Amino acid sequence: MSDVAAGKAAQLAAIEQSGWGLPFRFLQPHNAAFWVYLLGVGGGALTMLRYFGQGGGFYAPALTGGVLLFGLYLVPWLLLLRHHNRYTRQPAGLLATGFAWGGVAATFWIALPANTALLDIWAKVGGTGFAADWAAGLSAPISEELGKALGLVLLIGLAPRLVRNAYDGFIIGAFIGLGFEVFEDVLYVFNGATQSFGVDQFSSSLQVFLLRGASGIVSHALFSAIFCTGLMWVLGRAPGERNVPRGILAMLTAMVFHFAWDDLAGLSGGGALFVVLLPLVVVVELATLFSVLRHAARRERAWIRDLLEPELATGAVDPPLLHAVSGLRKQRKAYRKHLHSRRRARHLIEGAQDLAHEIARARGEETPHVARARAELLRLRTIP
Amino acid sequence: MATGAQEPEAGWVPVEHRVLGLDRRTFTPAFVVLVISLGLIYGLPALNAAIPWHNEIRAGDVLDLGDGATAVPPVGWHLESGTLVGEGQENPVGLQALLASGGATVELRGAAFKGAAEQFLDQVQRSQGDDVPGVGGSRATLTTDAGVVGVAQSYTGPSGDGLDVAFKVAVGADGPAEAAPALLVRVRTSPGQFERYRGAVAALLRSITPGDRR
Repeated sequence: MSDVAAGKAAQLAAIEQSGWGLPFRFLQPHNAAFWVYLLGVGGGALTMLRYFGQGGGFYAPALTGGVLLFGLYLVPWLLLLRHHNRYTRQPAGLLATGFAWGGVAATFWIALPANTALLDIWAKVGGTGFAADWAAGLSAPISEELGKALGLVLLIGLAPRLVRNAYDGFIIGAFIGLGFEVFEDVLYVFNGATQSFGVDQFSSSLQVFLLRGASGIVSHALFSAIFCTGLMWVLGRAPGERNVPRGILAMLTAMVFHFAWDDLAGLSGGGALFVVLLPLVVVVELATLFSVLRHAARRERAWIRDLLEPELATGAVDPPLLHAVSGLRKQRKAYRKHLHSRRRARHLIEGAQDLAHEIARARGEETPHVARARAELLRLRTIP
Repeated sequence: MATGAQEPEAGWVPVEHRVLGLDRRTFTPAFVVLVISLGLIYGLPALNAAIPWHNEIRAGDVLDLGDGATAVPPVGWHLESGTLVGEGQENPVGLQALLASGGATVELRGAAFKGAAEQFLDQVQRSQGDDVPGVGGSRATLTTDAGVVGVAQSYTGPSGDGLDVAFKVAVGADGPAEAAPALLVRVRTSPGQFERYRGAVAALLRSITPGDRR
């Protein structure tokens, strides 16, 4: 087989394996996963309405404040996750479906009753003193991590060809976790207002916002990204990606992080150790997150390379650009240095991503969209 | 690549995979999610219901209300949430303690509130809207053995009897009480059962003592 034919075969294999370019359809009446999804989100929505309906609108100022503040809080998060939804990027509809599962079904349908029961069980087994220190950290990592990851399993059922590899698990997990985080934050705002019997509701919602907003940086989105990546390694849906020990280790790590975060006061004995433990946990969590991301991205980076390699012959892509578009932060940084222009590097990388997307959408065939994306990239290359 | 004419229509299910209008290839993820979800939603509460409480209050136990404030819970009742003195630290404005015995519960909730105990009780009643156990009686003043003054309101109705007592956990009606944390003691019993628990509840209320700093 010639190099050209081999390159084209690798490109078609990458398109087939990644499922990139395929549309996501939510309405699938023949799909059992669709009905379970509706049951979960519907059940969660009913519970949520009943929960927030307590007090007959008396807590509306707190609830409105919480929704507005955490709605704004979502914006930088969505921009950050959009930035990481690179390589064979997932459709927005699929990510929104995951977000809704995390926010409505995992929070209100699963975690609320499961946590209530587990907190009581720990108090019964170990006493109320033990429960005050440890029950949250011994309950949430089980009920919440499982509840969120079930959303990923349903998305595999809804879009089996789109959800294929560990990086898909990472991105979808982050979106499910973000949904959970934001809806849980609003729940905390509401609970804060009920605890104080509705006194000074906006101030109490602002307090919760500042506290939960800051801690949210290393919270559910991070836990779920790691947990769901681990689940994808266990399931091994992309060729050669199954790694059960690594997958289980990642899932357990996410649960341990969740435990450490929820029981930080218990771990530090309620003393000065808290000040040392808090930054330590944050640093370890972030370091682990980036390590998981690097490992998870390997398959997708190889697919992007296979997808764009035939374009070396057209001149639209050159080896440094191919290296950057299929690379990590380090490779993109090197490309910026190579071009001596951050702006130009960004435009070329984005142009190459667009071309890869059009090739995948055309299933490797030559279409006007592919030709236009290629021409655009060639035009960008001529701009100094 | 397959031509457009050969591509199956989106959502089309081959006949050998159809079961009751569903694609049986989608059963595995749906079934896994359904089983685990139902296990978490109904299995854990069922397990919880099967485990009895063993947190019985023994003679000498004292309930921590935060910042040194205490109450003596009735012996033999179960402590379902809250902290006994010596077991940890309680936050007076985040306090949530629950005692239960048979058909009666006593909930103690702390909150930050500027104002008198009566105003705090007004705020509590506004916050619960129509969610009251029945017809309310007249308000009465209640003074604990340590001199903490509270305002009590009883309820009676077909769903049960109740008593709400609002305190500012400090001695004296002026400065210290105004800034002190508020405490709501909420008693709920089965219909017509309040009298059975009156003695235990009264002893608990009388035992409420503010911390040394108040």
